[in-house]
Amino acid sequence: MYKKILAAVNEHINSEISARYALNLAKACKAKLYICFIAEKDASPSSIEMAENAVKRLFMQAREMDIKVESIAETGNPLKEIEKIVKHEGIDIAFAATRREDIEKRFYAGTFARRLSLNLPCSVALVRVVHMGRLHPHKILVPLKGGVGYIKERAHFIAKMAEAFGSKVFVFHATKPITKFFHGEIHITPIEWEKRLPENIADFMKHLKRHKIEYEGKLLPGAVARSITIEAASKRHDLIIMGASERSLLISILKGNPVEAVLREAPCDMIIFKPHHENK
Amino acid sequence: MKINNLTKEEVLHNLVTSENGLSEEEAKRRLSEFGLNEIEEVKRTSLSIKFLKQFIHFLAILLWIGAGLAILSEILHPGEGMLTLGLAIIGVIFINAIFTFVQEYRAEKSIEKLRLLLPFYVKVIREEKEKEIPARDVVPGDLIILSEGNKVPADSRLIDTTYLMLNNASLTGESEPVPAQHKPCEGEIIESRNIAFAGTTVVSGSGKAIVFATGMGTEFGRIAHLTSAVEAGLSPLQKEIVKVTRIIAFLSTIMGVLFFFIGHLIGIGFWENFIFAIGIIIANVPEGLLPTVTLSLAMGSQRMAKKKALIKTLTSVETLGSVTVICTDKTGTLTQNRMEVKEIWTADYRKIPPSPPFSKSPFCPPLIKGDIGGLSGGMGGLDSYEWLIKTAYLCNNARFINGEYKGDPTETALLKYARENIGELKSERLHEIPFDSERKRMTTVNKILEMEILSPRFPPSPIPRFYALTKGAMESVLPICKYILRNGKITSLDEALKKETTDAYHSLMDKGLRVLSFAYREAGDSSGVLQYAPTFIETDMVFVGLIGIEDPPRPEVSEAVRKCREAGIKIIMITGDASRTAVAIAKEIGLVKGSPFVIEGHEFVRMSDKELREKLTEEEIIFSRMTPKHKMRVVSILKEEGQRVAVTGDGVNDAPALKKADIGIAMGIAGTDVAKEASDMILLDDNFATIVNAIEEGRAVYDNIRKFISYIFSSNIPEIVPYLAYILFRIPLPLTIIQILAVDLGTDMLPALALGAEKPTEGIMKQPPRDPKERLLNLRLLTRAYLFLGPIEAAAGLFGFFYVLKSGGWQWGQMLPSDNLLYMQATTACLTAIIVTQVANVFACRSFRESVFKIGLFSNKLIFIGIAFEILLQIFIVYHPWGNRIFATAPISLNIWLILIPFAVFLFIAEEIRKVFLHQIYHT
Repeated sequence: MYKKILAAVNEHINSEISARYALNLAKACKAKLYICFIAEKDASPSSIEMAENAVKRLFMQAREMDIKVESIAETGNPLKEIEKIVKHEGIDIAFAATRREDIEKRFYAGTFARRLSLNLPCSVALVRVVHMGRLHPHKILVPLKGGVGYIKERAHFIAKMAEAFGSKVFVFHATKPITKFFHGEIHITPIEWEKRLPENIADFMKHLKRHKIEYEGKLLPGAVARSITIEAASKRHDLIIMGASERSLLISILKGNPVEAVLREAPCDMIIFKPHHENK
Repeated sequence: MKINNLTKEEVLHNLVTSENGLSEEEAKRRLSEFGLNEIEEVKRTSLSIKFLKQFIHFLAILLWIGAGLAILSEILHPGEGMLTLGLAIIGVIFINAIFTFVQEYRAEKSIEKLRLLLPFYVKVIREEKEKEIPARDVVPGDLIILSEGNKVPADSRLIDTTYLMLNNASLTGESEPVPAQHKPCEGEIIESRNIAFAGTTVVSGSGKAIVFATGMGTEFGRIAHLTSAVEAGLSPLQKEIVKVTRIIAFLSTIMGVLFFFIGHLIGIGFWENFIFAIGIIIANVPEGLLPTVTLSLAMGSQRMAKKKALIKTLTSVETLGSVTVICTDKTGTLTQNRMEVKEIWTADYRKIPPSPPFSKSPFCPPLIKGDIGGLSGGMGGLDSYEWLIKTAYLCNNARFINGEYKGDPTETALLKYARENIGELKSERLHEIPFDSERKRMTTVNKILEMEILSPRFPPSPIPRFYALTKGAMESVLPICKYILRNGKITSLDEALKKETTDAYHSLMDKGLRVLSFAYREAGDSSGVLQYAPTFIETDMVFVGLIGIEDPPRPEVSEAVRKCREAGIKIIMITGDASRTAVAIAKEIGLVKGSPFVIEGHEFVRMSDKELREKLTEEEIIFSRMTPKHKMRVVSILKEEGQRVAVTGDGVNDAPALKKADIGIAMGIAGTDVAKEASDMILLDDNFATIVNAIEEGRAVYDNIRKFISYIFSSNIPEIVPYLAYILFRIPLPLTIIQILAVDLGTDMLPALALGAEKPTEGIMKQPPRDPKERLLNLRLLTRAYLFLGPIEAAAGLFGFFYVLKSGGWQWGQMLPSDNLLYMQATTACLTAIIVTQVANVFACRSFRESVFKIGLFSNKLIFIGIAFEILLQIFIVYHPWGNRIFATAPISLNIWLILIPFAVFLFIAEEIRKVFLHQIYHT
């Protein structure tokens, strides 16, 4: 599915860490890796030097790992230039690091990461780097919502990431507790919850099985974002891979946005994945 | 691959840094991306929002509508007193909101306490220079310098160490410092020796480390995250109160609306009908319930405090009563944490009782004591017992200072035993490989002056000798031993001797003893120590023996465990001790009867949640060789299975489990501030028995809440019936809304509170924990209150009302204005009738089944104080001008009181007869 992978790098260390995920995915998919650096017009020489050094290091690492690699350096608006590259090279998936503004600003307010995710005509993986010590994630937490779509591509991406690092996948579904007006919350044991596992999540796990990936499933009632971060922290997960938010501006304002909340409180690295098909 | 697996060069490459440190520009850039190195509290609902929520739940909304309509009525029809009513209803909303908020309020300071464990300043190398910067400015890739006394600011990979010892107590709970090193390590980051974690302290030595995680990304941040994010959810009582209020609100609305339409159909005017509907709602709502519950919980917490259980959240008082599982530590909680040498085993003597008269031992060579305190003879000159005791003395960090033993309880026990048997020993310690939970042993290298006879013509003279002395767990010490000391001779440790030694080890552990193994080897010659490397000094050692240390169970624990068994509460022991020791202690205190299911720490880690879930259903289960970080998983799974869990803890890393449990119990003596802040209850004496006493009190509190709910709900009927009579029989309203509030928020309050102070009944700890499906407000309780006690009170009320009216010449069908004296006296009589019958009802509600004479008429003195208050308040309402003004009452003559008393007597006798019947049915 992924034959051409793009990693966007800049002067920030987290972009390099993010590109390392792309590098390992490229290895697992036997894909060609494009490492690009788009220098903004007002970029300082030291920033340019930092970014160029990062590109060099990644390039060398890719060579060592026997990955077909190409580096691209351009000047201009990063968003537009990356979009051009994606279109020109026929990129399947692009990796970029989230920035501080993604955590501090509301996501729907239009951050660079959000624009990248919306505008690129390919799948997008936005990486938030929290912990630089877990170089190869052993435990990947995959929170899924009930009505999640594009199962095949999601499963493929996660399976390949797991394959790249030899990780175990933990599929997690946080659902609303069952309540009745006069009884309040009804307690249901995990075994009973398992029977209520949404079909598409069960389908997703079947896909993982087909990819021969070791996985475990878990379904728990509770507030979505809080349940995910608690699960990740308590079980010491190394990486969270979560679908991009599909909530509209209004819904996000009224009901909150779990992806944003997890992004703010993630206790480990996190990838917000947006399959290409969801753009169509 | 993780940071701990890498070489120094790889670490620098991966974190894109160098031994010269980061540039200031790069550090600034990283700071802007990773944020400040700070512990942050996760976003939670603010206290103000929590308070505001108390005004918008279903019942509150219903009351707001009532108040709004009453005020609207005042605007449209001024002078009908509806403004007073509207304001009274708003008052009720506020009272309920405040008391509910007080129940839920909890000062949350655990994050503040965690922050105190991090340093304020730290030394880093940036741009090749050593600088001191605020710890909050540290970024991933920074090269930090660690020296004695420093606190580690962020999770860092050590790249250079010089005798670096770290105290990881804040993370692992172990007070013993661990040696750190800079070489690559296999395994997980959390278990690696080459990592310095944020919040830990440098005990000695120095080192350099590269930061790889800051702020909430650190292990410390993980604990902070869990501590502030994990919530136990609503307590069982809070859930029940939500249900009760919803049922009441629903019933009130239905009744209000139904009778509004009936009134409309029989031709009553809108506003009159409206007052009636509001009255029905007010009469149905037990306004005093939430304040009484809150005050009763506060009283319960006071009683618990007297029993050395300090309650931090009021609702925890009742939650304790519903606990089904207690996960408890062993040392210090079930046991006294007062270690004492109980048994000794050596290959010479097989078994020696404690404190043998040393000099009288037929096999023991005379000991030369004195200033030099040396060992007599050479390596082979001492028997194994003497070697064992001297090793226990010298390979020991406890101290005897100013007549007191100071140090770790286990080491103190060893030193005390050794000192009392062989007196003072002097020796120079040259080196130490400290104890840690991974190696499970410690070794010291000592220079000992031994008295040797060099020539028969001269007296013995001191000769320095160098020994490596080791103590630790059997599984750690025996593999490094090649020999065993037997009858003063070093013998090869063959399989048969190994088996004999292991059998002895098991036999001591089966007695519940904590067993330590001891060994030594010569580590040098006359020129000094040959090598300090562990690979040299901890090999080919001579096994000398075993010492079994007893940590006696607390005397009250066996009884507390028995109570728990009878009360259907499962106890799960979670201990760092070995399995056999844990099982033996568990048997001694009656925690297990047969063969319990034992899960060791290493098995626990490998188990999936599903497997663990299955194991936790075992009736008797013990977790051994565990660390505090595992507790939260056990608690989470138990809770997912619907258990109500209490868990004990004392360390910083116990905090998430304490927060997760329904009842987190921190140790008052041994507990850290963080654990105390994260807990719901603090045990002032660290004693398990105190938990059980608190549970008993908690169960009593729940029973008592039901008692006063019966009491409060009984008075709802005499409040509702007058309204029904008013609408159905077209009579003057016998009880005004303000008078209803006088009962609910006035006269009922103290007697209800007194019911909340009833002592636990005898059989309370012989019943299984409350079924989660059991409702606080069940059909039986409602039937008793609404169909038995309530109607008697209603009859009394209406009798009083009509008696006064009739005595004043009132004719059936005659309507009286609200300021008519006769009418006001009649409503006063109705109100008085409710008060008089409630006096009898308070005795009736003291027990559901038992006669009040059986439980002791005077056993709860507060009841009489409550009744006195009730009557005095009623006298104020009836006879004081202010009382008359506020409650629209008028003084009544004494004979009215007297004619109402028979109703109270009747209620009391009827209830006693009911109990007799119930008792007979129950026993049949």
